[in-house]
Amino acid sequence: MEFQKPIPLKTQDNSPYWDGADRHELILQKCKSCNEYSHPPGPSCAKCGSTELSWESQGNDINGKVYSYIVSYRPFLPGFQDDLPLIIAIVELNKLPQVKLIGNILQCSPDDIEIGMPVKMVWKEITEDRSLPQWTQV
Amino acid sequence: MGSIKDRYAIVGVGESERSKNSGTTPLHLALDAARAALNDAGLQAKDIDGFMSYSENDSCTSHQLATYLGVRPKYVKDIMGGGSSTEMLIADAVGLIETGQLNTVLIYRSMNGRSGVRMGGGGWDVNMLQSAIEGGSFIIPYGAGSPAQWFGLFATRHMHETGLTQEHLGHVCLSFYEHAQRNPKAYFYGKPLTMEEYQKTPYLSYPFKKHDFCLESDEANAIIVTSADRAKDCKSKPVYIMGLSARQCVSHAHYWNDLTEVAADYVAPEVYKMADVKPEDINVASIYDCYSWVVLRQLEAYGFAPRGEVGNFVAEGNLRMGGKLPSNTAGGMLSEGYTHGMNNVLEIVRQVRHEYKGSDRQVENCEIGICTGWAGPDMAGAMILRN
Repeated sequence: MEFQKPIPLKTQDNSPYWDGADRHELILQKCKSCNEYSHPPGPSCAKCGSTELSWESQGNDINGKVYSYIVSYRPFLPGFQDDLPLIIAIVELNKLPQVKLIGNILQCSPDDIEIGMPVKMVWKEITEDRSLPQWTQV
Repeated sequence: MGSIKDRYAIVGVGESERSKNSGTTPLHLALDAARAALNDAGLQAKDIDGFMSYSENDSCTSHQLATYLGVRPKYVKDIMGGGSSTEMLIADAVGLIETGQLNTVLIYRSMNGRSGVRMGGGGWDVNMLQSAIEGGSFIIPYGAGSPAQWFGLFATRHMHETGLTQEHLGHVCLSFYEHAQRNPKAYFYGKPLTMEEYQKTPYLSYPFKKHDFCLESDEANAIIVTSADRAKDCKSKPVYIMGLSARQCVSHAHYWNDLTEVAADYVAPEVYKMADVKPEDINVASIYDCYSWVVLRQLEAYGFAPRGEVGNFVAEGNLRMGGKLPSNTAGGMLSEGYTHGMNNVLEIVRQVRHEYKGSDRQVENCEIGICTGWAGPDMAGAMILRN
């Protein structure tokens, strides 16, 4: 069945991130001037404004902790009606706590989710050539 | 030029009918609100030389409004924006009057927010959303398409860090619903809320239940701003602008990756400094209330209770009549109506004027009020008004 949910749009500024995701790899944008990670990626560093940007692979063994979350009992966008309740979380990376990524915590009950919960990145193949980074409970 | 403290005033406020299905256009609603504000001020349409509005592409233009009031203004402006746009446009109006370009400005917000374009979503093109929202590709594919979800991420973390509970969110709702019972024009007039009912209501999007969400309504609001000198010629009692911080921002919130600060944290010191008052000098408030938690976070930002004690502040009844800071006394956007904040501006003006004197709706001895605007965690504005 065709994937019913929104597929991440690749743009001039973010395509290395999503190309990496398609290869099941986490690629982050990093500023060469201030050495800060810039996420989500943009046309220049959102911390200092520099255009000297690089891309850094974090590999495919990505662990983190739930920093915050919400639990949606209604689909606010088309395609999510069969995913309720839907947990949307901000995950803080263990190795780079300054970087926080938004994703869903899969196969997790709303009764179990809590701030600080350890999670691991998984990649869901959503179309023939696209994959979406997601999280599962460790 | 220099400080604008007490040199500008709001001299007219007005609204259209409020409903869930107006059966008419935003232009008709805007005309009704503008005529009501003109009547309140004792002004003619020809006295207005600047017209401004904000919208989310769901309104009529200032040019249309002026045209059908039968006048030819010197200046029209329509901006895209929601919360804190009123404060920003007032700041723009003050600047234009201060530099001699205009005399008197009418600012309005008109929307069929329920029967027309609904902020709560529905029918949006998901690829459009990914492009339109900064960092949209990193939230929309995960089902995060509503401000309730984006702000909810801030709320859960903030509640965790400061000990706020669901019951504290409920106290904000209960306080504002209680005010709505004194306001026959409020959407939830005649529909009081108890803590028991709040507690047993299921979540729509944890940590928010339906009561924690603002309303959607069809209505228009208008206000008229002029100089303190010209205000003397108006029929209404002027409400003077003591301090104003138009719209500040924090840059990072576009992807909600730093939940530790909100724009209101930067607005607060500036608006208090300009007005030369302290939080304890404020007698009445209109606090932007698109969600209940947003009120709690602003009570902290604007110094009404220290971080960690905001929950007790609302549980003690301080937002209610007779409390330390009666707030959103017409019911606010949680229970009166929703025009991206302008209905809250109308109410604070009426309170500071003592328009409800002799009724239980008047906050006793209120001389100074604050009105806050919240476009999101990332953008905010505020103003302090006096009698």
